[in-house]
Amino acid sequence: MRNCRRHWWALTVGMALGMLTTTAVLAGPADSAFAARSARVLEVAAGESEYNLLTIAAKLKTGHDVPRAHHMLDSLTRDRAMGGMFYCYTLIGVYLHTRDVLPDALARKIREAFRVRTMYRGDTENHWVMYYTGLYLASQTWPDEPGTMWFNGKSSAENFSESRAWLEYWMKTTSTIGQGEFDSPTYMTVFLAPMLVLHEFALEGTMKKRAGMMADLLLADFAAEHLEGSYGGGHSRDYPEDIINPLGAPSTMWAWLYFGRPQFEQWNEVRYRPRHRGSWETVFAALSSYRLPGVIERMALDRAQPYVHREKKRTRNIIRFQSEKNLPVYKYTFMTKDYVLGSLQGGILQPIQQHTWDVTFASPEPHNTLFTLHPFVSARELAMFFPEEQAFLAAEVDRYHKVYTSPDKWNSSSPYEQTFQHRGSLIVLYNIDAGAQHPHIDGFFPANLEERTEDRSGWIFCRKGQVYIGVYALAPYSWIKEEVNWRLRSNVLRNGVVVEVSSQSEAGSFEEFTGELRNRKPEVRNFNTTLTAAFMTRDGKRMQFTYGGKRLLDGRAVTFPVDKLFDGRWMQSTVGTGVIRMTDGVRTRTLDFPRAQVTDN
Amino acid sequence: MGRGILWLAAGLACCLACAAAQESTIYMAVLSSRSHQWNSADNPVIGLFTSTDRGASWQHIGWREYIRTFYSVESVDGTLWTACGNGVLRSTDGGTSWKVTTGWEETEVLKIAVDPRRPERVFAATAYGPIATTDGGETWEFRRNGLSRWFTGDVCIDWKQSARVLLASETGVLISVDGGRRWRPTSLKGKDIRTIVQDPSADGRFWAGTEQDGIWASANGGATWHSASKGLSHMTVYCIVFDPDDPVRMYAGTHGGGVYRSSDHGRTWQQCSQGLLNLVVHSLAVLPGGPPTVFAGTLNDGLFRSTDGGDTWTFNSQPEAQVWGLSTGKGIRERAR
Repeated sequence: MRNCRRHWWALTVGMALGMLTTTAVLAGPADSAFAARSARVLEVAAGESEYNLLTIAAKLKTGHDVPRAHHMLDSLTRDRAMGGMFYCYTLIGVYLHTRDVLPDALARKIREAFRVRTMYRGDTENHWVMYYTGLYLASQTWPDEPGTMWFNGKSSAENFSESRAWLEYWMKTTSTIGQGEFDSPTYMTVFLAPMLVLHEFALEGTMKKRAGMMADLLLADFAAEHLEGSYGGGHSRDYPEDIINPLGAPSTMWAWLYFGRPQFEQWNEVRYRPRHRGSWETVFAALSSYRLPGVIERMALDRAQPYVHREKKRTRNIIRFQSEKNLPVYKYTFMTKDYVLGSLQGGILQPIQQHTWDVTFASPEPHNTLFTLHPFVSARELAMFFPEEQAFLAAEVDRYHKVYTSPDKWNSSSPYEQTFQHRGSLIVLYNIDAGAQHPHIDGFFPANLEERTEDRSGWIFCRKGQVYIGVYALAPYSWIKEEVNWRLRSNVLRNGVVVEVSSQSEAGSFEEFTGELRNRKPEVRNFNTTLTAAFMTRDGKRMQFTYGGKRLLDGRAVTFPVDKLFDGRWMQSTVGTGVIRMTDGVRTRTLDFPRAQVTDN
Repeated sequence: MGRGILWLAAGLACCLACAAAQESTIYMAVLSSRSHQWNSADNPVIGLFTSTDRGASWQHIGWREYIRTFYSVESVDGTLWTACGNGVLRSTDGGTSWKVTTGWEETEVLKIAVDPRRPERVFAATAYGPIATTDGGETWEFRRNGLSRWFTGDVCIDWKQSARVLLASETGVLISVDGGRRWRPTSLKGKDIRTIVQDPSADGRFWAGTEQDGIWASANGGATWHSASKGLSHMTVYCIVFDPDDPVRMYAGTHGGGVYRSSDHGRTWQQCSQGLLNLVVHSLAVLPGGPPTVFAGTLNDGLFRSTDGGDTWTFNSQPEAQVWGLSTGKGIRERAR
């Protein structure tokens, strides 16, 4: 009997794969590869035993172990503790994807959950996207019902109207002044998946269209800074485990699914396994009719020519200590086929989990990144973003994020950190207040670097494969050996690093790179007084940067492009227009959010 | 005839019981709890709780899971209002069912004040500025005219002159004399205000607790303020309450110092935290009748009770909880006035 069931499941999965493949063949090679990867996600997710709405969806859609899926769904709808925004959108998403095969009793329990569960709206951008996507689709699914039938006492019409209004507001904000929780290798998951569900099931044509456009925008935003499965450069927020191991971040599973990179199933291997592998949001992508536009796929994969990519984002809502709710965030990213060097301008741009800069290199091995930071801790910083009492916020945040007050943390904003980048060269300066809780800076150097040499010139020369990195520390430091890395620690308040990244194709041999860089030492005189560093870049430009002062390139002040939402080879958009143009030089796709129009040329 | 007397007696007993319950109702808003695990168990250890037996027992009412419940209060018409992350919740059936009365623009609602004369008129302090309704929560609007910063932690409607409303902001105490349509600064400016309350025993007297600047008092309707921190060693003050039986007796909850008590109407303060296992006290409530019963809500160690006017404290309920807000039933507040 057991063998029989196994055979039946294999046959069903095979049929599902076959159907997807047949569709894919008709659609072309790229779609065919996507269809195969989608089927693989469903196959693995369907075999999972954990109680998870998304694996239930995979089981029901592939026909694998349907009785268990029913039992799991019954349990999750009966559990009075279940609720919140994650539950809200996944529950309705699973219902809409599987309602044609759901027993009536389970369908009724799902409906009942929207009456009796606590659906917390949350306090972050991704929370609200999930909450209002779930509520929009649920109230659309069960219209014309009174407030007594909903957890929040509002009628279907009231819930639908409110959800639509907020979703429209969020789409407008994101496409005109930028995302707040931008470019997060972890949280992009919970923006993309709700948009794919919304795109799939919204009955209003405009909402359906805009949800698909948001999926385009989020994936293009990722693609422009994507390198072989890694999300390079600065991030609004991420977890330490993913910052030091970019291939372990949830974004890598999305890269694998949509871009086909990395070319192996890192998400299904223990040493790379993302912390959030078990959340399985990619199941919604695998079930979606949304298809990645070819222009975005090329953005993600074509690294034949190096390029500079600039973006403007916004801070999370600031509720205290200043009048402006959303300050601008400026991103600068330099992409090559071998590495990506990217940075935010520095300062407090997000609470808790900011990642200001890194170099991430193309590698199939874990820990393919290098960066520095100042581990800043401040109750006042937290109170800028959270409404609770500031005197107890630090300890409270530590409850959820574990490392906020740690001197060794690998994610942090800091008001004492500023950057200046030009292509593959970066100056990072620190001016740490003497009263800071952690008066030091740290640098992450992966232990699996093939070279990490302290040169008499003052440079630290690093090599991983064909990627070369020079780090010049502006103050004395020491090394601490840790499990997967060397930690550079410097206990000097006025501090900084100059970073030069190159590769074999740009600089020749590693010896040529190091020899050439020895002759280009940063100019630093009386740094403790001037807080100024200068550096001649590989392309003959002189960078000069004073902490709190101007960023000079060949003597001319470099200013942030305040009116550009996207500015680079692949993407162009002017702040405030809501029109984003994506091009690969041959094809162009224009997202016009105000008109809810997509134009392909 | 006999049966009639029986019904009459039963009815009278019921009325007396109701009156007693009304006299001792307490609402406890638990923001979070270390005992609580997100989506892990059926454990209503957070949210709203009520007691009608002076803290001998507590009943959870309303939503069971985390919604960031900051405060709950009962209006004179019996409506329950709750301030939370999802907005402003209203219940007209004693907490059995609730409606979120606000929309997406209103969030992070921290405190609520209901007009005692016109209960359909309600103000709420939010992280994005004060909001108000004049139709019992059917519609809300922001009242931010005159604010240089939006964050507001508390709001207080003058129970004698309801057009006068005072606001606790990060730039000081603000006052409106036209029902919140226009705010102007008072003499208490440049201080981060955590709480603002009206003295139940004196017209136009208000008290404010601040972040690191102690307690301030106003005797002229909030126009001018003077420091009233004598004896206070812990200067961050989250809450101030009055003994309904003896309004010159006041209590203040502080960060780090637990509870302070004044027996001379705020002229001097003495620390009275013996038995408190956590000295971060964010909420207080005092019940009338008998020996003065005081409740102190701590951040992360639950609710404590004193039955000797604050001389000593013992743990009462909700271990490991953040008891963010405490309020007493409508009867107690009305009696104090």
